[in-house]
Amino acid sequence: MNNDALDTVVCAETPEGITIELRPAGLTSRFYAFLLDWLIRIAIIYGVAIAAALMGGLGAALILILLFALEWLYPVAFELSRWGATPGKRVMGLKVVMDSGLPITPAASFTRNLLRVADFLPLMYGFALASMLMRKDFKRLGDIAAATLVVYQPLPAPKIQLRDIEPLAPARPLAPQDQAAVIALAARASRMTPERLDELAALAAAVSGDAGRSGPQVTNRVLAVAQWLLGRRS
Amino acid sequence: MTPLQFEERYQAEWDELERALDAIGKRGPKLKKKQADTAPAGERIAELYRRACEHLALARARAYPTHITDRLDQLTADAHQVIYQRREFGIGRLRRLFAVEFPRAVREHALYVWIATAVFVLPTIILGVLVYHKPDLILSVVDAETAASFEHMYSDSADSIGRTRTASSDWTMFGFYIRNNIGVAFQCFASGLFAGVGSLFFLAFNGAYGGAIGGYLTERGLSSTFYSFVATHAAFELTAIALSGAAGLRIGHAMLAPGRHTRTQALVLAARESIVIVYGVTAMLLIAAGIEAFWSSARWVPNVVKYSVAAVCWIAVISYLTLQGRRAS
Repeated sequence: MNNDALDTVVCAETPEGITIELRPAGLTSRFYAFLLDWLIRIAIIYGVAIAAALMGGLGAALILILLFALEWLYPVAFELSRWGATPGKRVMGLKVVMDSGLPITPAASFTRNLLRVADFLPLMYGFALASMLMRKDFKRLGDIAAATLVVYQPLPAPKIQLRDIEPLAPARPLAPQDQAAVIALAARASRMTPERLDELAALAAAVSGDAGRSGPQVTNRVLAVAQWLLGRRS
Repeated sequence: MTPLQFEERYQAEWDELERALDAIGKRGPKLKKKQADTAPAGERIAELYRRACEHLALARARAYPTHITDRLDQLTADAHQVIYQRREFGIGRLRRLFAVEFPRAVREHALYVWIATAVFVLPTIILGVLVYHKPDLILSVVDAETAASFEHMYSDSADSIGRTRTASSDWTMFGFYIRNNIGVAFQCFASGLFAGVGSLFFLAFNGAYGGAIGGYLTERGLSSTFYSFVATHAAFELTAIALSGAAGLRIGHAMLAPGRHTRTQALVLAARESIVIVYGVTAMLLIAAGIEAFWSSARWVPNVVKYSVAAVCWIAVISYLTLQGRRAS
């Protein structure tokens, strides 16, 4: 991949020689996830505090142990669950994985969550902010030391809606990248306004021999080429 | 081969792999038992996974439409997670951690442990002696109110030694020790990331604080309550704090002098090794909290018994750290 400059995708190579694309999550979504988790923890504390107030000394012990657990173990427990994410992260569609794309190990989860202390310094997660803003993969210090990444859970791609158009052979042989571009256009066709679709199709009009022209007819011919490229012949 | 033909031809294999992953529960909700029975397992999954990898490579090389590569991407990524996941849970793993790995990790980091111990113990002794000879100095460490409350905690009139006035029972103190002490240890470890400076600071600070309190109480003539209180759990607590500082120094050293690795690699390696020590530290502090809250604070135990138990604990901790797990492969 040569699009280093623009894209934040991290490619992890598997032993089978294929690359797995991980999309690191940036500051905003991680901040919202953190906020949600924080609210959840506050809610738990208040809920238990009311119950514990009736229990005297044992209740106070319970609260203190709970505070400890929520502070340090809450993220670890959820990251090691099958979701690989705290509830806040799950709501935001995030997940914690190793750099290799594998599920997070207990050691890594402990490391990244204990080093939260270092991230918190000098105040209000100052170092975490600085580190995340300076790095392409948005790691905070804990992530660097634990070799983990917070990534977006991939969403399944929508299947191409085949419009009912007669396939049309391209006007000239097309390189793989060009084929992919035309097919990608067809895949997105149903999600664009007709005007925008016409504009984009005009850029690709050369494939159907309509270079320089635009309009719904040209768009249809370009989409027809996409059908042909997908393998339909009639 | 056109994309549609490709899809048609291998669709069945992808579906089969998808079913297998569903049955394992990696993707979405678990299937009904009947469906799970018909799903492939074991070697077949590995085979299907390798096939899917091949198909993905082909699909990418031939620039097939994104819905095919995306689906294969997703499929291989999920299968990859299932096939290469490392199992680090379970009783066996835990037993090995405490029987072999933790004490061994401590010995491997002996130099850091000695440095951390020195940075922790020297301020303790220095401030202890200073405050003992010049009790006014305690006010430069804590304010008058805190000093008075410490005096109260270890005075003969307190119903339970070492209990703060607001705490109503030993259980409360147990909770307090867990939250506070383990928090301190984690802080001591994590702040080592900054070239070890944070660990050194917290070690020296906690040492100085404890030393000052000890010197002050001794000067006040409360030594018999104070030392009999501290002696037993100190075996676990002070050792654990020093060890957490040593773990912090390890990662700090990796940042400072990464050697033949890049700084990031060195940090990852150091964190992976030192986190084992932090596991052990956590367990030791849990033990310490239990002892401190229920045994050390007990007024009905004669001091002779407390000192004997303390001696046993110290010997046990030190021989555990120096001898345990030497022969295991």
